[in-house]
Amino acid sequence: MKILTTVKKVVDVELNIHVENGAIMEKGLQYVINAWDENAVEAAVQLKEAHKAETTLVSLGSGDNTDIIRKCYAMGIDNAIHIDDPALAKADSQIFARVLQRVYEAGDYDLVITGKQAQDTDAGQAGIMLGEFLGIPCVSNVIEIKVTDDTHIQVSRLGDAGTEIVDLTLPAVVTVSDSINEPRLPAMRGIMMAKKKKITVMDLAGLGTSFEEVGGTARKSEIVEFMAQEKRKGGRKFEGDPAEITAKVVQLLVNEAKVL
Amino acid sequence: MSPLLMTLVLLVGLGIFARTMYRKILLLTALEPADRFNHIKDRLKNMVVIALGQKRLVGRKKERASGIMHALIFWGFCVLLIRSITLYGEGYVHGFQLPLLGESSILGYLYIALKDIMEGVVLLMVIWAFYRRMVVKPARLHNTWEAYLVLGMIGVLMISDLLYDGSRFMLITAHGNPVDLHFFNNSTFGQEFIWTPVTVLAGNVISGFSAVGLERVMVLMFWVHIITQLVFLNFLPLGKHFHVITSLPNVFFKSLGYPHEKIKLLDLEDESVWEDETLGVNHLHQLNWKQGLDLYTCTECGRCKEVCPTYVTDKPLNLHDFNDTLKAELYANADNLIHRAGLARTLTGDAEADAKTKEKMAVFKSEKALVGDVIALDTLWACTTCRACEQVCPVTIEQVPRIIAMRQGQTLMQGEYPQELNTAFKGLERNGNPWGIGYDKRADWAEGLDVKRMADDPNVDYLLWVGCAGSFDDRTQKVSKALVKILKAAKVDFAILGTEEKCTGDFARRTGNEMMYQAMATENIETLNNYKVKKIIAACPHCLNTLKHDYPQMGGHYEVIHHTDFINQLIADGKIRVKKSLGGALTYHDPCYLGRYNEIYDAPRNVLNNLSSQGLSELPRHGTESFCCGAGGGRMWMEETIGSRINVERSREIVQEKADTVAVGCPFCLTMIEDGMKELDKDEQIKTRDIAELVAEHLA
Repeated sequence: MKILTTVKKVVDVELNIHVENGAIMEKGLQYVINAWDENAVEAAVQLKEAHKAETTLVSLGSGDNTDIIRKCYAMGIDNAIHIDDPALAKADSQIFARVLQRVYEAGDYDLVITGKQAQDTDAGQAGIMLGEFLGIPCVSNVIEIKVTDDTHIQVSRLGDAGTEIVDLTLPAVVTVSDSINEPRLPAMRGIMMAKKKKITVMDLAGLGTSFEEVGGTARKSEIVEFMAQEKRKGGRKFEGDPAEITAKVVQLLVNEAKVL
Repeated sequence: MSPLLMTLVLLVGLGIFARTMYRKILLLTALEPADRFNHIKDRLKNMVVIALGQKRLVGRKKERASGIMHALIFWGFCVLLIRSITLYGEGYVHGFQLPLLGESSILGYLYIALKDIMEGVVLLMVIWAFYRRMVVKPARLHNTWEAYLVLGMIGVLMISDLLYDGSRFMLITAHGNPVDLHFFNNSTFGQEFIWTPVTVLAGNVISGFSAVGLERVMVLMFWVHIITQLVFLNFLPLGKHFHVITSLPNVFFKSLGYPHEKIKLLDLEDESVWEDETLGVNHLHQLNWKQGLDLYTCTECGRCKEVCPTYVTDKPLNLHDFNDTLKAELYANADNLIHRAGLARTLTGDAEADAKTKEKMAVFKSEKALVGDVIALDTLWACTTCRACEQVCPVTIEQVPRIIAMRQGQTLMQGEYPQELNTAFKGLERNGNPWGIGYDKRADWAEGLDVKRMADDPNVDYLLWVGCAGSFDDRTQKVSKALVKILKAAKVDFAILGTEEKCTGDFARRTGNEMMYQAMATENIETLNNYKVKKIIAACPHCLNTLKHDYPQMGGHYEVIHHTDFINQLIADGKIRVKKSLGGALTYHDPCYLGRYNEIYDAPRNVLNNLSSQGLSELPRHGTESFCCGAGGGRMWMEETIGSRINVERSREIVQEKADTVAVGCPFCLTMIEDGMKELDKDEQIKTRDIAELVAEHLA
């Protein structure tokens, strides 16, 4: 089985994000691997360990993704491709899905595993669109993948009503939830040995396509403006006699918060 | 007596002993190198004070009586060494005397008197030791046949020598010296037996014998003594009594300057170490020879486990079993290790030529995994690195560096470590703190306090190293704020690094994650050196220890002062004034990395005595024998699922002492003890406070 998994480099949302004039300020930001993609990588590596599978990772974007790719190598991924093209700085989910489609077509993959969404935009579209563009089945929010035989898998997904179990014929796309697994922290030895592994880096032309061809010039969506999240105001603490406090709180709920 | 028999006995006795010792030394040389031949003067001093002087046996208040017992037996043995040489001589020459110690010198008389008394004393001590083992039965002691056998042999040695001299005495004084025995006799100092009351007593015990009977007793006791002594000598290296021989060298070769061997700075850039898996200790041959000597020397006295916070709370780490198991494994693999080391010496550095040798070397690897099969994982990861064991060990065995080296092997090479650490490692990697909170929030606690940043004024007198807990943990932030209040009151010119500070890497290093430690240290040292920082006030003993002792290995040299030490100085210099207005019973919990690692015991106590209206009262386990809170060595970031909780054990001790306030000087201790008090439902009655908080509240 050949598995393709995708990773995106995203802004670390643990940090305060500063916005000025509708744009995110670069200073002080740091970038990390998208957490759901880490789950996808872990899922791919687990399948590789349990069955005979070859795992390939693709990351899209402009700029250096070496650090996150090395980490995935250390986790146990076999091959890595980085599509590095400055044009992708302006890409939306659909364009990414188109690029992934080209990557998929250039290889001979049986299964694509992606994170269900990215931490930065929370769009959750690329994986599903990829399934659509390829005309192959796609299941989202997956919490378990079981291999039935060479051409079939069974996945569980978290639906609104509960867990849904779906049989899939390969090739297929699954997007995974963070509850599918606990991504391993790669062994130090793995990290050091991963330094030697080769990363295939190419631009869109190298992939045999162009920004126009993946829909770049006819973009369907655009981010117009970023706005800083409003800071949560601190709560108020009351100390003293419970009866008095209750009366006071009720007063405040009626007069100040006007919720009663 | 009989030169032929003496020669035979000595040849066999010393020959077998020499062969045994040769093998033991050969095994040590098969281990990794350790540089322990420097600073000879300091080493001799340690040997005199700790080994010959029996400092840790006699000096320890707890169990002083048994300490003195051991010391007397040891000193008795030292005295008797000279006597042995005289007896060997007697085997060849009738009336043999050592130069200077003969009958013509007062020294000779003083020596026989001392020897006489010591034999009596040792005999009494042996009787006491038997009684202690059989009746008192202290919990820490392993009662083995070996211990009784050795005690028995010591008893036989004393009795045989006393009876040998006693029968001489009777033959000379009561029977007119029929066999022309030589004895000390000098016009100035008189006859030998005036000086030897114990011998006279022994002689009287056998006074009923005839001259012939006494002569037989004398010859018999002579050979019993000589043969027992040689059997004893050959028996020593076989078991825990090897310490009789190895203690002196082991103390001589102990670490200097820092309480134990510093964690080795590993070269992680060298690719071969990752390919050959040579980092840390995953195999016996990766121990260094001093660690081997430590294992030889372990006396199994059990003091280490008695003070160990993990053993006391029913965790699987039992240090003397740990040593014993490793030692057994070392002996079981001795031949392999020696062969392997022989091959290793033929390595040329040429990859191709070495490949074959390495292949051969691999054959000599032990079948059992050092960690996993020989030492259980839970055992290895239980240690809090508190050093209580090392502090109390009479023969200065260093447990902690060995444990950390084994953890390095696990974390770096095998990827086997408690998985709870992942969250903390990840936090460190991304945001430079084990909580994983955004690094940009590191100085949020200081908002509105008007604290300078190094970036704004790099010429300040002091850098205040806040630490991760002081920066991110709600509770410890209060300590940081209190400290700022004190420093401002004293008009100290200081700044913080703010968002440029990162975890020192202490917990990563002590959980064997040298890679992450070095990443943190490199960045911090670069920042500190860029600002040309000279003096650092650290509010956390773990930060203090790492900045002060670990960073110099990587080019970071700073004067690092703990905040309690600094506050103590501020009070002494009159820079701040405090009121003696802290009411209620006050006690102090010594943090391990402040006390045992950095020997700061007095400063915190001075400060507290300046605050407390009724003075500081000590916990039963305090000072060098303080009991760990359970958070050191990275344990703060691991689950404690085996046995009872260490922090609760400590908190219970504090509750029993009826304290109203327990002062600490470490953010981990603060968290652990406070949690322990909550667990015991005592947090309302007993307040856990950092010394800085108490001082800030009682500023005059």
